Amino acid sequence: MPGVVVLSLPPPPRAVHAGSRSPPRGRPGNMAAPELLSDEGYRADGRRPAELRKVRARMGVFAQADGSAYIEQGNTKALAVVYGPHEMRGSRSKALPDRALVNCQYSMATFSTGERRRRPHGDRQAGELALHLKQTFEAAILTRLYPRSQIDIYVQILQADGGNYCACVNAATLAVMDAGIPMRDYVCACSAGLAEDTPLADLSSPEEAAGGPRLVLALLPASGQIALLQLSARLHQERLEAALEAAGQACRALHAVLDRVVRDRLREVTALLGD
Amino acid sequence: QQLLSARPLGERLCSAEEATAGSGTYTRHGFIFSSLAGCLEKRSEDSGLPVVSVVRDAESQLLPDVGAVVTCKVCSINSRFAKVHILYVGSTPLKSTFRGTIRREDIRATEKDKVEVYKSFRPGDIVLAKVISLGDAQSNYLLSTAENELGVVVARSEAGVQMVPISWCEMQCPRTHTKDFRKVARVQPQFLQT
Repeated sequence: MPGVVVLSLPPPPRAVHAGSRSPPRGRPGNMAAPELLSDEGYRADGRRPAELRKVRARMGVFAQADGSAYIEQGNTKALAVVYGPHEMRGSRSKALPDRALVNCQYSMATFSTGERRRRPHGDRQAGELALHLKQTFEAAILTRLYPRSQIDIYVQILQADGGNYCACVNAATLAVMDAGIPMRDYVCACSAGLAEDTPLADLSSPEEAAGGPRLVLALLPASGQIALLQLSARLHQERLEAALEAAGQACRALHAVLDRVVRDRLREVTALLGD
Repeated sequence: QQLLSARPLGERLCSAEEATAGSGTYTRHGFIFSSLAGCLEKRSEDSGLPVVSVVRDAESQLLPDVGAVVTCKVCSINSRFAKVHILYVGSTPLKSTFRGTIRREDIRATEKDKVEVYKSFRPGDIVLAKVISLGDAQSNYLLSTAENELGVVVARSEAGVQMVPISWCEMQCPRTHTKDFRKVARVQPQFLQT
């Protein structure tokens, strides 16, 4: 075709770890791909395969909402705000006669990714993730206690570095707890992947972009019930067990961290009231 | 009644044989779990098992339930019904108001067909009503004032002064001495402030 210039870029430099002699593991056959796991068993950001990123969370961030929470998982930052249960807004015909309607909205801030995003919400990915959030929280919240009412959960990603949905679920769990809406159990979510045969827990953005299989699990830790399980790319049936186990362990570890945050918050709130 | 330490939710409190589940808890597989993050409270009942409940300091939103007495403010009237905003459920204020409807046939218990809505309520009145239905796809909460203790408690006359009730169907303005028709509530003496 006339007028088209094809440029070929040089391959990206290979990350070299001191002492590693064998070729990097990652996408087989492509020597230029960033390796997911080095020979010593370290990932690109220095973590062990089953290690989670550092989690920092806070509840009660906003005073005007019924419940709110903020969570940081590594570099991923998510904010969740909960309103409700209140009367149905909009069309009353959508009200369920025996339970509450959970309405979720997922949005990513325009400054959350490397390049400025044009539409914070309303695109297909946001709609799909909002539907997943709704499905997850309808399983966990005791909606039968609030017939014909609505619970709104709004989550926003302030910085996206892998595990967006997981950070949203964890933030929304804390926010629902802050609002005093009864739930069956915590909902903890974590992603897992595979580097050859080793399962990796809590994938960061470059690990997700590497193209390997990615498993997202939302778990109710006390009973071990799965609220949502999502798999992208292909995974052999024999490897599913290992990846699922790694994701489950990561969710339970996350549950321990969130539990500590909630206990600290409860202690703080009861101390403020002078109990 | 003892207030024990703070509990996050999802925690297994005890087995269903030792206690009964109160508010903020649920039962599953013969055990009682907490569904709220708050303080554990164990109340010993005279009959049978103690009641275990989890309480939060800030009261979470209460929804009007069937049979609850609510305090509402009339916002508009019609020849067939009166539309109200529900402000209080019992004695707890609601954070966001709910909408309700009082139909013409639910205003009084006797002579329902002779009722005129204009002579029972006016916009701006504070009314005590009881919830009879949560409503269906077309309507919001249905309320009724068909009891002696239910009806208008506070009403202002056209002069803007709070009116004094003189009978079950009339109220009088203390300044202009004009009488207005309302469906007045017979408030229990212990609730009156003198």
